[in-house]
Amino acid sequence: MYNGGDGPRRRRPEDGPAADDDEDDDDVDGDGGAGLEAWERAYADERSWESLQEDESGLLRPIDTKALHHAQYRRRLRSTASATARIQKGLIRYLYVVIDLSRAASEMDFRPSRMAVLARHAEAFIREFFDQNPLSQIGLVTIKDGVAHSLTDLGGSPEFHIKALMGKLECSGDSSLQNALELVYGYLDKIPSYGHREVLILTSALSTCDPGDIVETIQKCKNSKIRCSVIGLSAEVFICKHLCQETGGTYSVALDEAHFKELIIEHAPPPPAIAEFASANLIKMGFPQRAAENVISICLLLMNWASHVQVIPSRRCHGLALVVGRVFLVLGTGLTFLLCALDASNTFALIVISIFMRVYTTALAVRVTAFEACLLTQAS
Amino acid sequence: MKFRLEDITVYFPYDHIYPEQHAYMLDLKRTLDAGGHCLLEMPTGTGKTIALLSLILSYSLSRPSSPLKLLYCTRTVHEMEKTLSELRRLRDYLFSELGPSSSSFLAIGLSSRKNLCVNPRVLSAESRDSVDAGCRKLTASWVRALAERDPSVPTCEFFEDYERAGSSAILPPGVYTLQDLRAFGKQKGWCPYFLARHMVQLANIVVYSYQYLLDPKVAGIISKEMQKESVVVFDEAHNIDNVCIEALSVSVRRQTLEGATRNLHRMEQEIERFKATDANRLKAEYQRLVEGLAQRGNLRVSDTWLANPALPDDILKEAVPGNIRRADFFLRVLRRLVQYLKGRLETDNVEKESPVAFVASITNQAGIDQKTLKFCYDRLHSLMMTLEITDTDEFLHIQTICDFATLVGTYARGFSIIIEPYDDRMPDVRDPIIQLSCHDASLAIKPVFDRFQTVVITSGTLSPIDLYPRLLNFNPVVSRSFTMSLTRDCICPMVLTRGSDQLPVSTKFDMRSDLGVVRNYGRLLLEMVSVVPDGIVCFFVSYSYMDEIVNSWNESGILKEIMQHKLVFIETQDVVETTLALDNYRRACDCGRGAVFFSVARGKVAEGIDFDRHYGRLVIMFGVPFQYTLSKILLARLEYLRDTFQIKEGDFLTFDALRQAAQCVGRVIRSKADYGMMIFADKRYSRHDKRSKLPSWILSHLRDAHLNLSTDMAIHIAREFLRKMAQPYDKAGSGGKKTLLSQDDLEKMGDEMLY
Repeated sequence: MYNGGDGPRRRRPEDGPAADDDEDDDDVDGDGGAGLEAWERAYADERSWESLQEDESGLLRPIDTKALHHAQYRRRLRSTASATARIQKGLIRYLYVVIDLSRAASEMDFRPSRMAVLARHAEAFIREFFDQNPLSQIGLVTIKDGVAHSLTDLGGSPEFHIKALMGKLECSGDSSLQNALELVYGYLDKIPSYGHREVLILTSALSTCDPGDIVETIQKCKNSKIRCSVIGLSAEVFICKHLCQETGGTYSVALDEAHFKELIIEHAPPPPAIAEFASANLIKMGFPQRAAENVISICLLLMNWASHVQVIPSRRCHGLALVVGRVFLVLGTGLTFLLCALDASNTFALIVISIFMRVYTTALAVRVTAFEACLLTQAS
Repeated sequence: MKFRLEDITVYFPYDHIYPEQHAYMLDLKRTLDAGGHCLLEMPTGTGKTIALLSLILSYSLSRPSSPLKLLYCTRTVHEMEKTLSELRRLRDYLFSELGPSSSSFLAIGLSSRKNLCVNPRVLSAESRDSVDAGCRKLTASWVRALAERDPSVPTCEFFEDYERAGSSAILPPGVYTLQDLRAFGKQKGWCPYFLARHMVQLANIVVYSYQYLLDPKVAGIISKEMQKESVVVFDEAHNIDNVCIEALSVSVRRQTLEGATRNLHRMEQEIERFKATDANRLKAEYQRLVEGLAQRGNLRVSDTWLANPALPDDILKEAVPGNIRRADFFLRVLRRLVQYLKGRLETDNVEKESPVAFVASITNQAGIDQKTLKFCYDRLHSLMMTLEITDTDEFLHIQTICDFATLVGTYARGFSIIIEPYDDRMPDVRDPIIQLSCHDASLAIKPVFDRFQTVVITSGTLSPIDLYPRLLNFNPVVSRSFTMSLTRDCICPMVLTRGSDQLPVSTKFDMRSDLGVVRNYGRLLLEMVSVVPDGIVCFFVSYSYMDEIVNSWNESGILKEIMQHKLVFIETQDVVETTLALDNYRRACDCGRGAVFFSVARGKVAEGIDFDRHYGRLVIMFGVPFQYTLSKILLARLEYLRDTFQIKEGDFLTFDALRQAAQCVGRVIRSKADYGMMIFADKRYSRHDKRSKLPSWILSHLRDAHLNLSTDMAIHIAREFLRKMAQPYDKAGSGGKKTLLSQDDLEKMGDEMLY
């Protein structure tokens, strides 16, 4: 929870190094405060003076957070009100998190640096996200030197993303919103319409150096229903606001680290569904159909098998089903091959399981695919 | 909403009203009751215009026996259009509230031919003067008379149709912008310009530019027959004294004199031609001049173009002096005058003279007495009419000379003549100039105060408000300054006195080219571009200082570093270039690249261009924009102000500099939903005598803690401010701090006042 002036900053330098040691273990990542003594860190990182503000008569007092708390309270009221109003939520989300690692991310106004804060909370967000959206997937994109790089493809494993993100933490160059949007658009445009296409941009830069007209790109995203939200770390930028307004996302600017954490976590619960796609319809998932095909396809199931099983997150509640699924899968695969080999007339009805394996890499999808494949092959 | 304000019912086209609008209306109403003039300062973005319009219309509706006429003066065509669209909204509201009977008033905008003409042949000319001349070529009475005999002579079909329609050519009630007038004219086939000029006499509300009232040359034609019960409003009037002064100042250069010689030569040829063909015409003119110029009112509407720059009415009743009644005699007088002025231009020293001494010297050397000089302008006008000269844009030079002569001949006080052989800033280039400069703003505006019942002078920056009545020499019944009621502190003025190295920064003459100061200013901007999103506007004190500092930033590489964050655009003295730069600046802000605009206080950009919303999140005023204090004209004016109005030189200079600075920084905030920062980067701003002259709406947000900042502190404040402003906020205001009043609130307020 956000608690302004008297939260993690409450500590005063005179509390001494002993008090610091208890709290520092998880607070400092070692980037900023590695070579400093604990008492130095209190100045360099904590910036305790920032939690004070001068009033009209020049007296020092803690920053007035009443207005902020009030706004927060209202927001919460609104969200609980909307929760009771039975709003349909988009459950299957395909979210790209774009992390701006341009020059501006190295600024030190967040401690130890904006980049470290970004990474720390992106990690927390990814975990929270999968907790709340087990059916959804995340991909990571970073912006550096005016170019957008895809760090990870869409996938359902938090560890995988976090590992990839932590390995790439360095910042330089300009930021380019357009490049990032174009890249993400290329990935998300192909997602079927039942999935919610979303982009969450964590930006610290105040300008964007684009190769072309960004307004066109925004329009493109709008047309293909990609919901773009932005969390800024420094100030309100017009183009980001415009982007969010156009695509129906939210735009917010973090006041400090605690506020940033709160803002990013707000994106974890599923957003309201898009009205056009909200009508109840059957999503065929993991129900492979028998279809006549003239070409003999090669089943790559076993080759994919090894790679995908690692990706399946182990989850307590699904553990048992998973085991069952795996057993059936092995059985089913064996049977398929057996049938293919034995019955030449059955070649046309070869089930290409690998396609499903490729697309539905979430735990549930794999499970159902395996299960269904087994059933189908047995039936045939 | 409608509500009672003392004894009248005010119709206001919005559902909510700001408290300061309510207070503004109350003061305005009291002024109208008292029938005097007033001076009101209210920050931009608080709905000044609509408050004014709605109160004056409601006032006039509640007193049907004495209908008011409203003359609303704006500075630019853009502002005029904005005012008219507000009026339209008000009219629609009145229509829905009161029905057609009460809302049937006529409101029109009047502008030059350039903006109103619909004839494609005339419009093809670029400049205003050539459009005017093009129009006259087609519509002058003698051209039309000629065309009647000879159909091959081109005339303007729109004007012909308008003339034919005669008195039936009127506008139905409604609100007409320039665009609407053009459309109406095209549809009916009537000339919109002449129609509008005709309708000015009948309209309830006229929106036009300052010049139509203040410049005596124009005011004589357009605003002559306005009734006394008119309310005159000067909007954005913080520079009104300068407008008044410019209207009565003339400068003569070498080119002017050469042009005038050519004009005289051509007129001589014309006279010879007339003597040979149509000698009666010259005789008739002579007869008319013997009788006096008084019958000028009988001239047809299309023929009057420029009238008497001198104000006293008796000049019209006097007969024209004998020595210039004959056309060729008059030309000889003019030639002697031009010759004399040429001789004066040859001087190597700066000379300063009073009009009396100047006239005496003319009398001695050129043999032209003061009375003759006084009549020059009218005599020229009459002669040009007689000679049927239509391409008036060619004759601007001689008109300037005659204007000069008339002013010198008419006024003995409040003017001075300054002859400079070269510009002080460029002593190598010889560019002699004779300047007749007016020092007394009250001369031009006096007839307006005298003639109209109520004159309202209003603007966002009129501080210090007690100086204006002295400068303009009138007694306001109400002079008040309003502050803005805000739900959040959306403006953040700061006074920056030191760079990050704690050395003071200033554009004081002895410090301005100090490398440390230049570097500190550079570092300030550099730090700011990395913290502030989108657009930043910088104002410098002069073009030369801007050139100097930008050069030095370029050499030290600061400019390059700035360009990494934002693009840089610079205002130049070329209008086209500046417009292009502004356009690209806006595009850079729109697409998220971010941009910095370097501009000059007192320049075009500082006066008329808004940098609202993301186009201006921060404005930095580098230095105090004092006028060029070595200018002879300024010195003469200061001396005059001290002697006549007892205004100290220092006071006036500070007042003038600070109002410019306030005007510059005020560009960033145009509405309450907007937010912006203002940095006054000069150590002199922290002094009380300077600071206290800023408008109260800025001062009320200038906290003591922000008075003596260094760069790093300013950066910190900027960061905090921008983050705070980016948070969603409550527009209506909550709790005790109500910033939007509904009808119920107002009724409650009224009750509280009663009990």
